Amino acid sequence: MLKMQNIRKSYRTDTIETHALRDFSLEVNEGEFVSVTGPSGSGKTTFLNIAGLLETPTGGQYLLDGQEVGNLSDSERSRLRNEKIGFIFQGFNLIPDLNLFDNIDVPLRYRGFNAKERRRRIEKSLEQVGLSARAKHLPAQLSGGQQQRVAIARALAGEPRFLLADEPTGNLDSLMARQVMELLEFINEWGTTIVMVTHDPELARRAQRNIQIVDGQVSDLRQTIAQPEAAIA
Amino acid sequence: MFELKPMLSALWRNKVSALLIALQLALTLAIVSNATVIVKDRMEKVARPTGMDVGNIIAATYMPIPTDYDMAGAVIADLDLLRNTPGVLDASVTNQIPLSGSGSAGTYFNEPNQEIGGENANYYQVDSHFIDTLGLNLIEGRNFTPADEHVVGPNDRHHSEVAVISKQFAEKLFPGESAVGRFFYAGNTDKPVEIIGVVEQHLGAWPGWSRAGNVVFYPLLVTDNHKRYLIRTEPGQRDAVFKEVEELLNNRDPQRVVQVETLSKNLERTYIGDNVMIKVLSLVMALLTFIVALGIIGLTIFWINQRTKQIGIRRALGATRANISRYFLIENSLIAGTGLVLGTAGALIINRLMVSEFSQPTLTLPLLAVCAIVLLLVSITAALMPAMRAANVSPAMATRSV
Ligand SMILES: Nc1ncnc2c1ncn2[C@@H]1O[C@H](COP(=O)(O)OP(=O)(O)O)[C@@H](O)[C@H]1O
Ligand SMILES: [Mg+2]
Repeated sequence: MLKMQNIRKSYRTDTIETHALRDFSLEVNEGEFVSVTGPSGSGKTTFLNIAGLLETPTGGQYLLDGQEVGNLSDSERSRLRNEKIGFIFQGFNLIPDLNLFDNIDVPLRYRGFNAKERRRRIEKSLEQVGLSARAKHLPAQLSGGQQQRVAIARALAGEPRFLLADEPTGNLDSLMARQVMELLEFINEWGTTIVMVTHDPELARRAQRNIQIVDGQVSDLRQTIAQPEAAIA
Repeated sequence: MFELKPMLSALWRNKVSALLIALQLALTLAIVSNATVIVKDRMEKVARPTGMDVGNIIAATYMPIPTDYDMAGAVIADLDLLRNTPGVLDASVTNQIPLSGSGSAGTYFNEPNQEIGGENANYYQVDSHFIDTLGLNLIEGRNFTPADEHVVGPNDRHHSEVAVISKQFAEKLFPGESAVGRFFYAGNTDKPVEIIGVVEQHLGAWPGWSRAGNVVFYPLLVTDNHKRYLIRTEPGQRDAVFKEVEELLNNRDPQRVVQVETLSKNLERTYIGDNVMIKVLSLVMALLTFIVALGIIGLTIFWINQRTKQIGIRRALGATRANISRYFLIENSLIAGTGLVLGTAGALIINRLMVSEFSQPTLTLPLLAVCAIVLLLVSITAALMPAMRAANVSPAMATRSV
């Protein structure tokens, strides 16, 4: 599904060069639920951005769904993001001026679906996250947990193969965080590959596989769901 | 893939700023279109044909010093001298200089002793060379001959039996008919004047006058205390002849004061006010348009900066750069469209006032449409640069900023 080999990413400012990722290699298989942990500033978001085609790596090779994406044009990358990838952000990232219905509609319009198809998908995804009754509400009229569920609905409406979540529960209390996590697990069961960055060790353990990023590199690939007790002990 | 409905609802939530720009555009359209009517009207006025070969005509005024001066003799001798001067095509005597701002006018009637009605016209006392000297186009009838000319004293009650008039005046006196061979009456008299010829156009002494273009020429020489000559030169010879005229006249007879001017100068002086008006209004229009363009650039940049995060989110969700630019351009066009619709109403209301209170010309719909289209293009152009820049917002903005 996702295969990164020797990915490098550095940011230059006038004075300093930051190596956010170095020699970063990782493979995620179809249908996996992978959690990503690591200290702040270690490169987790950078990794997600590259995986989600929001940023281009400075070097290395990245195959998404078997396709080499390094040489794609900006609009081809936009199309791939739109069709294959769903994003869930820590800050929800709903568009404040649009109601829930129109928010979920945004990627579907870029996809070029007709009005009927869009409506069908919006209604279905709102139902999946349990917010059908709120379609005409503005994001600001919802709680954080509800907003994140709308964001998930927006990501789901395009039926992506691949869901990327950057600390999706970071702004939520533990009850809401658990609800969101259950939703993600449910989505994963239906076949969507998920990569989720989180600070929450409990949530990280619930994934099939946890990888840790330290200093721009994957530090320990052996940590899997098979050994959660060992990791604690 | 138009996003009109969500775009409109997003705009509605920012209606104050959007409305401010729309109103600014509306006001600009209202002012610019009304200014354009005035400018167009003035430009047409300035561009009106004078009927004369203005660029090649010199006018000389002289006043004899002695009181018992043989004016008629002097005129014959002077004109003979001028007509034989190299570079001169023809010369003529007249009581007033066209386009000079000084002239005479009378009221003319179709019937003898008519008391009411009548039509005002500018009149000239001239000779048989006048029409050729000015380069007027005689479109009907005949020119004066020397046999038509009469000399009268300043205190004689003078009356000419024939006249040449302008086409515009002919149409006033005899609408839809040929005026040649017909008669009119100058003032409340019973003495008819026969129209022997019609010239196409002559703006007369006061181009700004509401009756400008109503002109009558009589073949008369009134021997009052001063006289004027008109001199038409060969093309390109005007300035050379101009330098000589005063000396020529003074050499023939030094007992007088001579003053020389060109018709071009007169014409220029005539339209000073109009030209200033044209320049000032054009400047105002340009400034207003510039300010509204700056306003649109400013607002678009402001909104884009306010929505950088949103642009990043849209990019992350699959918007191409073109999608983003197009979004802001369409949004801008919606605002501009609203403004221009309001402005059209405003322009028509203002024009009503201008017509009724200041007797300015009427704003026509095609002209208003042209102004609106120009402003729409200005508005789109102004939004273009910020909209292109918006497309440069990185999709990573969705994850990087809080
Ligand atoms: N746009 C950027 N310009 C410069 N440095 C950046 C930029 N984005 C991230 N970084 C740096 O790259 C490193 C990795 O950042 P990030 O991937 O956001 O870490 P994490 O998500 O694990 O906290 C950090 O040192 C961060 O300061
Ligand atoms: Mg991060």
